[in-house]
Amino acid sequence: MTRPRQILALGGGGFSMEAGNALLDDYALSLTGAECPKVCFLPTASGDADHYIVRFYRAFPAGRSRPSHISLFRRDGGATDLAAHLLAQDLVYVGGGSVISLLGTWSAHGVDLMLRAAWEAGVVMTGLSAGSLCWFDHGMTAFHGESTPVRGMGFLPFSNAVHYDDKPERRAAFLAAIADGLPAGYGTGDGAALHFVGTALAEVVASREKARAYHVTPEGAEVTENELATRFLGAPLAVEPALAA
Amino acid sequence: LPPDGRRTPTILAMGGGGFTAGPADPALDDLVLELAGTPRPRVCLLPTAGGDSEHQIRRYYETFGDRLCEPTHISLFRLGRHPVPLREHLLSQDAIYVGGGSMVNLLAIWKAQGLDLILKEAWEAGILLAGLSAGSMCWFEWGITTSSGRAAPAPGLGFLPGSNSVHHDSEPDRRPVYLEAVKNGAIPPGYAADDGAALIFHGASLHEVVTARDDARAYEVTEDGERALEHRPLAQPKAAAATVPAVAELRRLRLARLAD
Repeated sequence: MTRPRQILALGGGGFSMEAGNALLDDYALSLTGAECPKVCFLPTASGDADHYIVRFYRAFPAGRSRPSHISLFRRDGGATDLAAHLLAQDLVYVGGGSVISLLGTWSAHGVDLMLRAAWEAGVVMTGLSAGSLCWFDHGMTAFHGESTPVRGMGFLPFSNAVHYDDKPERRAAFLAAIADGLPAGYGTGDGAALHFVGTALAEVVASREKARAYHVTPEGAEVTENELATRFLGAPLAVEPALAA
Repeated sequence: LPPDGRRTPTILAMGGGGFTAGPADPALDDLVLELAGTPRPRVCLLPTAGGDSEHQIRRYYETFGDRLCEPTHISLFRLGRHPVPLREHLLSQDAIYVGGGSMVNLLAIWKAQGLDLILKEAWEAGILLAGLSAGSMCWFEWGITTSSGRAAPAPGLGFLPGSNSVHHDSEPDRRPVYLEAVKNGAIPPGYAADDGAALIFHGASLHEVVTARDDARAYEVTEDGERALEHRPLAQPKAAAATVPAVAELRRLRLARLAD
């Protein structure tokens, strides 16, 4: 049985940002279809911060999942086969931080290629912030001062901006970058997540009722921003989930 | 300063020890300040190789906070919360201190953020580049890293010609890999340093070997093997730095500034 390629790209949220609200993390686990999913945390973008790794294990206790993590800063003594470990997962969860440091470090260890192989084999990829930007052709990072585009791994042929409703400058910078030639893409607010099957957006889900995501496209010299239909994961489903246009 | 106002480009490459080590080598920490060449040097820690670990940063401030200097650090992983103009800040230092950790990650992250070019500029301007372990090997053409779990050669920035290996006495995996890689020509000849030993380079030439521990040595490593280098034992400093009035005053100023 072949598993579809899936990415759940969070604008912000999950255990890193929403203590006590596990809706997005639960949803990521559910996408795997596994009863007790193997989930591997990649905290690279934070410099493998100890406190972040501890919070991951608290959020994904044994019983709910089979958790592990890969620290690229402390591999001494733990010389495991990273490619095989990633390929054996049901879910790979990428933490937030510096997307530039994240991609530089991954590329130095070949983790980008390992993740592509795992994604193509049907391991679900998820992450927030830097861990969301990395899957796209381009992401907007404000980590190093003003919000600017950076190249991602390009699994998804779009651009992406996270924490979209956090500060008006982020939105303005994204619209300006799209007008300037960045490929069409998505602005994703905290609490919203884009679910891609293959490279097509299947659905937008949210852990907060007011969380939103937007499709941003160039139209000639203009840029249009369309709010996407969003399914709040906390409410019971009365109808079929709305599919994004 | 020499008459033309330019300081000699200097690199202090430590095999291990200094403030991040278990048994601290205060003589090496003092040497950093001495080589920085000003009465109250501005010192900036780059803890990148350790993933900007809080522990390394805390130890740094504990160590240099009690000395006559102006310590700062740049956490590339926390620039989002604590923005720093990288080039401007680094080029205004008297010494840049690079902590240990993963050499491969260090260089990947520096290159992704353009730090390699800034550091070259800083070195050429005479700002002391100091570091231990990954922060020592990074300046050479090649180092022996354990970044992927076992010892293996990895390319460095190449400010200094040749190769470098660290923890020569304390991490037994590195030595045979280093000697073999030089012997079979995979990497150029170079220098190995024990914990507590340090190589001082003026320009691209080895100027002096200094040691902060009795049995610490540095070695020249060629195709023919290793040869211990002459060294100068550093005087062990008095531990009473914190009682110097000027230091106490500096600490008060620093605390006041932090409280702003």
